[in-house]
Amino acid sequence: MARAKIHVGLEIGTSKVCMVVGEVKSDGSVKILGLGTSKAAGVRKGEICDYSKIRECVDDARMKAEEASDVEIGSVFLSVSGAHIQSINNVGTYRLPDNEKQIQPEHIAEANDIAKDINISPEHVYLHNILRNYRVDGFAHSSSPVGLFGKTLENDFHVVTGIGTRIQNSIKCVRELQMDVDDVVFAPIATAQLALNRAERERGALLIDIGGGTTDYALYLNGCIAASGCIPAGGEHITNDIHMLTGLSFSKAEGLKIKEGDASGDQSRSVGTIKIPVDEKGFSQQEVKREVLNEVIRQRLIEILTLVRKRLPPGSEQLIGTGIFLSGGSSLMRGLDTLTHQIFQRAIYRAEAAEISGVQANFKDPQYATTLGLIRYAQLADLEKQNSAPKGLGRFWPFRRS
Amino acid sequence: MIEFTKDPQNTIPSSLVKIIGLGGAGANMLDRVALDGMEGAEMLALNADIRTLSGSVASERIQLGRNLTKGLGTGGDPDLGQKVMMEAEKEVRSAIKGRKIVFLCVGLGGGTGSGGAPILTRIAREEGAFVVVFATMPFGFEGHRRREQAETALNELAVLSNALVVFDNNRMGELVLAKQGIHEAFSAGDRMISDSIKAVIRLVIRPGLIHVGLDELMTALRTTRSRCLFGSGMASGKDRASKALTNALSSPLLDKGALLKEASSVLVHICGGDDLTLYEIELLMQKLMKYVPAKAHVLFGAAIDTNMKDSLSITLISALPEEKLRSSNEDAERIVLAPTEGFEFDVSEEQPEPEPIAQKIDFALTDAIPTVATAPVVTAAPVTEAVEEPDATAAPIAQIDDWLDLPSTVFAGGERPFAEHVQDDPIADFAHATTTPASVADAARDLQEALQASIAHEPDELSEAEPEHKTPDLGDLLEKTRTRLSQQESLFDGDARGKFADTEPNLVDGDDLDIPPFLRKKKK
Repeated sequence: MARAKIHVGLEIGTSKVCMVVGEVKSDGSVKILGLGTSKAAGVRKGEICDYSKIRECVDDARMKAEEASDVEIGSVFLSVSGAHIQSINNVGTYRLPDNEKQIQPEHIAEANDIAKDINISPEHVYLHNILRNYRVDGFAHSSSPVGLFGKTLENDFHVVTGIGTRIQNSIKCVRELQMDVDDVVFAPIATAQLALNRAERERGALLIDIGGGTTDYALYLNGCIAASGCIPAGGEHITNDIHMLTGLSFSKAEGLKIKEGDASGDQSRSVGTIKIPVDEKGFSQQEVKREVLNEVIRQRLIEILTLVRKRLPPGSEQLIGTGIFLSGGSSLMRGLDTLTHQIFQRAIYRAEAAEISGVQANFKDPQYATTLGLIRYAQLADLEKQNSAPKGLGRFWPFRRS
Repeated sequence: MIEFTKDPQNTIPSSLVKIIGLGGAGANMLDRVALDGMEGAEMLALNADIRTLSGSVASERIQLGRNLTKGLGTGGDPDLGQKVMMEAEKEVRSAIKGRKIVFLCVGLGGGTGSGGAPILTRIAREEGAFVVVFATMPFGFEGHRRREQAETALNELAVLSNALVVFDNNRMGELVLAKQGIHEAFSAGDRMISDSIKAVIRLVIRPGLIHVGLDELMTALRTTRSRCLFGSGMASGKDRASKALTNALSSPLLDKGALLKEASSVLVHICGGDDLTLYEIELLMQKLMKYVPAKAHVLFGAAIDTNMKDSLSITLISALPEEKLRSSNEDAERIVLAPTEGFEFDVSEEQPEPEPIAQKIDFALTDAIPTVATAPVVTAAPVTEAVEEPDATAAPIAQIDDWLDLPSTVFAGGERPFAEHVQDDPIADFAHATTTPASVADAARDLQEALQASIAHEPDELSEAEPEHKTPDLGDLLEKTRTRLSQQESLFDGDARGKFADTEPNLVDGDDLDIPPFLRKKKK
């Protein structure tokens, strides 16, 4: 545990491929050594649809990251997303045999097995089984109850599953580039490692990561994850909406969205028109009413956020004490904080990493939150392994090589 | 010894310039001009509402409708505005008498402005003045009716005035930030008009190194029924030349210089302090040439004004025939098939304006003088061109010769249908005058009166002719929107997904997320 360890996070997003090399020092602090990004091609709504293209992108990102960090990248933590990923909370209940009063490790393992045993469709595989808490006779314990006296043991798990073949294909894509995959992590869970600290999770926090093709969310209540998921709509949909309404090319619509868009619904920001200047490629000058542009953006974001809100477990909204953390490229949209507040009536924060050193400029940008979160996730997983309690976080995903 | 006096370069003394503010909005503009300090020029405020009139800072004030409205306003009724102006005609005429240039500031849409402005313009023209009208169009939210009133007045002004500069209040949002107060928005609009007036006055009055005067101004604004493009900017300090040009081009009337592309002649006037350098002018013109088409006639003027100190001002004036605005609008409509509420080609701001006035007036006149209808040139051209400078007896002969070529087919044709129908004497004189240039000027004046008499009737006829003329348009429009709607609907069913068109439907809770939410909501 004494020596520093290097972890690499890889996110294959809809708009960009991002690879981060981070060093976890012996004292547990994280330093970012380098970062490589490449514009993604061949990814739609978080899922790969053109492998040869995306391989080039990943390779490009790797070269950049290697160059920046001076580290040869051999294995990565891969974040995945996509509409196929589902999550449920399941409780495994185990009644202790009558002659035993004290909870033993094997009882917990038994309860875990029961919890895991949920009815998922055959094509789905487990991505994460995250232990939320233990309950002994209905009384919640956040640490292991081994040694306690009780009758029934309940293990509450948050189970994330996804379609196996799609995840496999993502892994294959990375392996073809002579890199190993240490672990596959559902994107919002990785982001949450970075964005939410313990106190915030304790009071209840919702992370919404609005990326290019997908919007991922993770809800933390009482210090543990309560819900996570993915909505297959994101910034690219906003661009597409603008494109469809105005007839502008995608690149222009994208530029318009980034430079001029505003989602706050503040009428005074929707006054006048935006002129799109003539360029060399023969576009005539066009203008778009701010009112219309902002309304298109707003409608889309309202829909995305409302969908997230609907997906949250009933009543959980009131339990979000800290507030809502926004990350992802689309969270840079002007006025999104106002809009999110209108929908959720909660305090809004920008997801920011507090305890990471390195090139500051990079991780202030919410676009990189997921990849940086992967490093933190890797660090935690490492700790977990060293403690190596087999009863702990059982990660039993079928893709590990060794 | 020959005495050499430095010729003042046929400049017009400022005492021959009159700035008139008509109606409430006009009074505001006038006040702004006065506050900005317009030394020399006379100001005249005309209003029916005694309260706003008494609050005006103008040196001269005339109350309209002393007997008709008794000190109250016209209450948004253009007919009443017309009547009160008629009532005060004598007073107004004597106030304008002998002025070379009249600037008329008016806010269209209300009663006094919309009703009175055309008549005032006619009076001023009859008194031999060069009339430049600065008009503001009402806000979109002021309602359809006001807009219509404003447009009717604008159409008349386009024919009657020598130059028409229109400011659309709807574009005022570009002058100020959205969060600024409404008074600031209005004062920004007034300031812009005041700047325009000052620039034109500076142009006409000041002696120039390279002189431009009324004649060039008229050339720049020559096209009949045109939309005036106007921009003026001032800057000082380092790089003042390009800064001033940027300021001038940022005028909402120029649309960042995009509208200049269509212009056939552009007047550029540069005015600077003693330290104005040739290099600066060269630099500025080079930059400007990027916006102006190569074949355009550039009328360049430069002047030194010691009061400018180290600042430099540039004024751009040009005119764009309305047909051009209109045709590009039609193009826009043809090209854009997809639902395009928020998407406009840059010219469409002018959309309400380019009513086919030429046709309308032809129609009106056809009713009055049916036989002339075969030669619409007669009605369109002389009204604006021949009337331009009735007193300047030296110049018109050449001009009249020019346009006499056109009507000769009608007039010299022996039958003289036009003359028979209207008024026998002047036209008979006129027909003879083709051979005797001495009487041409008189004849021209007579013809002008005859034509103006017919124009004076025009409003009534216009209102009669309009419904007939408009109904087919409306039908067309409805038809168009209907077809457009059906196109939209077919769009919903099929490929309303843009770049996601070839992917499987992205269903969440029964909604295809790839279709824009605004389309899905409409469909429901």
